[in-house]
Amino acid sequence: MQPDAGVLVAALALPFVAAPLVPVLFRVLGQRVAFFAATVAAGSFGLLATQYGAHGAVQLPWIPSLGVTLTLYVDGLALLIGFLASGVGVLVFTYSYGYMAHEHGHVKYYATLLAFMGSMLGVAFAADLLALFVFWELTSVTSFLLIGHHQREADSQYAARKSMLITVAGGLFMLAGFLVLAFASGDTAAGRTFVLIGTSDSLIANGEAVREALRAAGLFVPALALVAVGAVTKSAQAPFHVWLPNAMEAPTPVSAFLHSATMVKAGVYLVGRFRPLFVPDLPAVPEWTLLLATLGLVSMTITAILAVGATDIKELLAYSTASHLGLIIAGYGLAGAEALELGAETGAFHIFNHAVFKATLFLVAGIVAHEAHTRKISELGGLRKDLPIVAGITGIAALGMAGVPPFNGFWSKELLFETTYYVATANGGWFWLYPAIAVFGSVFTFLYSLKFLSLFFGDRPEALADVDVHRPPLSMLAPPALLAGIAIVAGVVPQVAIDAIVQSAFEASVPVGVEAHSLKLSIPKLFSFTPYLGMSLLTIALGAVAYPFYDRLHAGVRRARAVPYTSPNRYYDSLTEGANDVSRRVAIAVHGGAFRTYAAPLLLATATIALAGYAAAGTISVEGVGALPSAPLALVLGVAVVGALAVARAPSHIAGVLTLSILGFMVAIVYILANAPDLALTQLVIETLVLVIFLLVLDKLPAYYGEIRSRARTVADAALASLVGFTVFATVIIATSAQPDGPIFEYFLARAGVPAEHGPVFADYGGGSNVVNVILVDFRAFDTLGEISVVAMAALSVLTLIGMRAQTDAGVENPEVTEGEEGAAVADGGTPDGSSAGDRNGGDAR
Amino acid sequence: MSQEREPTVIAKTVTRTVVPIIAVTAVALLIQGHNLPGGGFIAGVLTATAFVLMYVIYGIETVRRDLVTRSEGYGLLSGPTESYERTFAVGLALAVASGVAAMFFEVPFLTQAVVFLEGVPLYGTLEYASALAFDLGVYFVVVGSLLTILAVVGKE
Repeated sequence: MQPDAGVLVAALALPFVAAPLVPVLFRVLGQRVAFFAATVAAGSFGLLATQYGAHGAVQLPWIPSLGVTLTLYVDGLALLIGFLASGVGVLVFTYSYGYMAHEHGHVKYYATLLAFMGSMLGVAFAADLLALFVFWELTSVTSFLLIGHHQREADSQYAARKSMLITVAGGLFMLAGFLVLAFASGDTAAGRTFVLIGTSDSLIANGEAVREALRAAGLFVPALALVAVGAVTKSAQAPFHVWLPNAMEAPTPVSAFLHSATMVKAGVYLVGRFRPLFVPDLPAVPEWTLLLATLGLVSMTITAILAVGATDIKELLAYSTASHLGLIIAGYGLAGAEALELGAETGAFHIFNHAVFKATLFLVAGIVAHEAHTRKISELGGLRKDLPIVAGITGIAALGMAGVPPFNGFWSKELLFETTYYVATANGGWFWLYPAIAVFGSVFTFLYSLKFLSLFFGDRPEALADVDVHRPPLSMLAPPALLAGIAIVAGVVPQVAIDAIVQSAFEASVPVGVEAHSLKLSIPKLFSFTPYLGMSLLTIALGAVAYPFYDRLHAGVRRARAVPYTSPNRYYDSLTEGANDVSRRVAIAVHGGAFRTYAAPLLLATATIALAGYAAAGTISVEGVGALPSAPLALVLGVAVVGALAVARAPSHIAGVLTLSILGFMVAIVYILANAPDLALTQLVIETLVLVIFLLVLDKLPAYYGEIRSRARTVADAALASLVGFTVFATVIIATSAQPDGPIFEYFLARAGVPAEHGPVFADYGGGSNVVNVILVDFRAFDTLGEISVVAMAALSVLTLIGMRAQTDAGVENPEVTEGEEGAAVADGGTPDGSSAGDRNGGDAR
Repeated sequence: MSQEREPTVIAKTVTRTVVPIIAVTAVALLIQGHNLPGGGFIAGVLTATAFVLMYVIYGIETVRRDLVTRSEGYGLLSGPTESYERTFAVGLALAVASGVAAMFFEVPFLTQAVVFLEGVPLYGTLEYASALAFDLGVYFVVVGSLLTILAVVGKE
């Protein structure tokens, strides 16, 4: 079935259209706007559901004049991510109604969350690399706003900045990778394209040729690495995992959304999506595996260990997210003849399972923090009696996370063990490290999962003794309960989830040309022993043995974390702080504060570059330079020259500005002589206005006008002035000596007026006899629009700059300065040259 | 600009007479711009000079009290500046809107048309160019921006 373009665009556009409506609806609905947002998410979900089973690409014109199209692609993987983002979105919005009741900034929260969901849908369905990148960065920007929701708190600011810097920086690497891919595809028969998948000339459809072109240019590994950097920063893989634990500063529903269905899933989605492009259908182990499977498994283990060291329930879950994403990346990363399908099955199935149990657990963590008023693991325990339903939900989700049969996470973890086992048996040697690391890391996963579950068992610690733990409201309880229901179904009868979506999702990541078999999983299969089932049992056994020593492990991990040299956080912090220092120093060096020091290098550079350009292009000609001007023109120009000389010799600011305006008025007369009344009018009025503005600011300027201390300085200034003068002269000569074929003014002259025969309405002629004005407002109206925007921008900047200064002045210095100025003004009141010592001091003081 | 010295009566009287003339001239330049010298930009700058003249002769307080009586607002934005700021915002919106309007007739952004209206009283046949709306936007942007800059710098 071909996807329907209209439905798809509607599903993507709906959250973006709804986001700006939130402020309006908030006035009417108040906090119930959460249900509006949930309805929007449900709408997107419903629209996507109509595309269930669809497969293929739709192309929509985007910038037709540049041949850029927006390509959307629908397959199982895109639908899986789309369903997760919109489905979990519905639950998160519903849950937010209860959770955010006593928080601030609802409008910002719901609007941003909607845009965040929309961006994630965009990532899932965009088939061309440019659109993918745009949506990708949109998720970074919106998550920045969401993580920094408590915008006045330093921790939130730090967390938001950190996630933004790391994921956006990764995104830029990815963009570079995309460009490499697009340029490499230019060497193939299909031609250069940004379309990743879906069309006959897309990158994946020509995967073999693209890989060969990349290898021929020696760019295969760089392209792979660049794209991988984007994916692993987004998915918080070691050593870029550091932003994820900080991101728990966000409100808990955001964390639930960000960790389960969006943001971090964008990274693993990218890996799954690019897998058919980088993985050849060959028995040998490709670079893809060496890079991604290794990174994924190592990351999974490190972050699982770090989760054991966590003291806060959200921190524990954050590290566990990084760990499970490592598992997914490892799954997609494993390739080679045995693992081509198995790896994809692992990745796709664990995306589903992880989203379900992690969203549940975060929502549970929100309930616990909300009702028990603490997130410290050491202060929590025995909540089973107060929150029995929540305890049941947690049991299902946490055992799934631990990988205990028959809960959902077990099945995908089992697939990972199976994949690593086959890769190891096929390749031998060092490859046996893969299953070993997988088991080792999973032991820690088992440990922290049990720890999370233990919050509900045992005795209540003293810290919690006198806290009255309420049952959560229905809007907070229903979402995790629903998710737990899905988890238990996917655990007991995994075939339901596989048939519904996972089968088609993993087929999307299998290399082109490999016939995907249907995946069959069921509980009866567990009764026949296999080596990988043994790995699962070994994990559980080791975990059970180690659990009594959890506190000792916890303390050990915390000690290891304190070592500064292995802490990525420390490198991040020193890098950002170092950058602050550097920018401060550069600012001081470049931004001296005196206007003169800016003028010289700026003018010199402009003149040099312009002249060098003319010389390089060989355009300087002396034709027509010898022509003599008419007598009136010569007179006017003569006055202008005298005025210019007078400017150079003027003794004060006022005299300088006044003589400068002589020059301006002479230019206006030149325009009149040249039959350009429009220009002359403008020049006259502007000249007047500029004169007044100059006079307004003059007494704020320091008074050392015209005092040039050294002869060398005089000579240098004169040389610079001459150079600038010569540049302008050369520019005028070159600009006016150009003789293009078919000059454009003929068209303007022909089209500006009213045609001889015309109807009551016409648009192809200007209809005005003032050609200059018709050019400004009709032929080149777009330029004019740009210019008036600049004018408005200038006014805004003046307003902002002076407004900022007025604020600082009002804060600290102003009282004294105003007093001093007033005193001086009174003293100077009667004297003829009023702006003397007092004002000068006032000006200098600023 | 020391405002302690009172301008002469002659200066004040002349300003009183000249400012309306400048304003009318500016409007004339704006409207005739399509066929004769003029246009939104010149008209805008000319209008701004009329204000400048008043500032110089009567001082900023008089303009605020008698001409642009808007008192709410905050800090620098209080008084006339807020009106000026709105003026250029409105102008920019008008210019863009006149461009977008063209798109409703399925022609590219900013396409201008000319309409000849028959049987208008006093005029007979009247030519109306849609560019006038755009020019009006230019006018407002220029007036608003220049006055904002002047008012803010002058207030300093």
